[in-house]
Amino acid sequence: MYSLSQRFQNVTNQALTYSFLIIGFVIATSWFHLQQNNVFQTPVAINTLNSNINVRSSRFFGSTTGKPKENAKITFDLDADFTPFFNWNTKQIFAYLVAEYNGDEKNTKNTVTFWDKIIADKENAVLSIKSEKSKYAVWDLEDKFAGRELTFKLQWNIQPWIGPLVFGETVGNCTFTLPVEQKEKASSNTNNDEATAEKPQKKNRKARKARKAKATNKDSTENKN
Amino acid sequence: MNLRLELTRFLNVCFILSSTFMVWKGLSVVTDSHSPIVVVISGSMEPAFQRGDVLFLWNRNELNKVGDIVVYEQNSKSIPIVHRVLREHHSQSSSNSKQLLLTKGDNNAGNDISLYADRNIYLDKQNDIVGTVKGYLPKVGYITIWISENQYAKYGLMGLIALSSLFSTE
Repeated sequence: MYSLSQRFQNVTNQALTYSFLIIGFVIATSWFHLQQNNVFQTPVAINTLNSNINVRSSRFFGSTTGKPKENAKITFDLDADFTPFFNWNTKQIFAYLVAEYNGDEKNTKNTVTFWDKIIADKENAVLSIKSEKSKYAVWDLEDKFAGRELTFKLQWNIQPWIGPLVFGETVGNCTFTLPVEQKEKASSNTNNDEATAEKPQKKNRKARKARKAKATNKDSTENKN
Repeated sequence: MNLRLELTRFLNVCFILSSTFMVWKGLSVVTDSHSPIVVVISGSMEPAFQRGDVLFLWNRNELNKVGDIVVYEQNSKSIPIVHRVLREHHSQSSSNSKQLLLTKGDNNAGNDISLYADRNIYLDKQNDIVGTVKGYLPKVGYITIWISENQYAKYGLMGLIALSSLFSTE
């Protein structure tokens, strides 16, 4: 005995079962492909060249109390190859350059993003970036950011056509200490005016360049394979 | 008209409704999130997530990492937002485990500070995060957007259910 509703139910049941099977197959094969290509051991070369600190007093630059905040930008080199990440279940890759550091007050641990990029296809998957400026101006929880030792890492997220999101980290990092500026005095006496706070910084540009060479800038790109 | 038959049918409908509700609430308990499955409404995470895509959430993690895609909801703004964590700050001592997060949509130019309630510049992991996105299913959720945003679809669906209950004879 067949009725319309019964037939409808049978068809949907079967469609659901098969689509679950297909989804499972796609997820399993793409996972196998990632393991095969050893993507979790992808090497990277990061080199931080320079940094630049601006003092801002807007809420959109981290200042809630009206006190000026130090906003840091960096210039960096980066080399990584994301070509093996692409298989039939890769919609795009989101690669992001983070810096980890410890704050001294309240023993905080911090991770901040300086730069990121959406890699949409295999043709653009080789990143070879020379002296690029970071996308974001980063501030700390505290007013001052200079003097912190940052550990830069390149991390990635595979966004699939269907299934789980895969996260990982490339092998290789770079440490860089944000140089302490001499204009600190200008920023520490609660000067709300940005223009006056930025002037002495321009004067110090030469001095900073000299200091930059001294800054700890070691590049440790080891391949754990 | 058989009263016993009608009552059994009514009981069946009740059973279906309550079991659906139990599955949903059970998922809530397992994932520790008040809405463990969400449908993307805005395009701020394009091209990764488009309108109508379904996301599966998990909220048993104590801390979020940078790069995680989270769904957050602040009490004064009831629309849940799906964005990526740009920064995280947390205390290492276990007594004070408050984590502050700054988020940004991949497709947006700037961070989310202008979206946060009460002039906050950070989200609080404990209170504001609904869940972290773990899995993705494309397009399937479009039917819920279609139903909730199109009144004819709503009435049409109601009518269809009413008609089928009238004509169903077993």
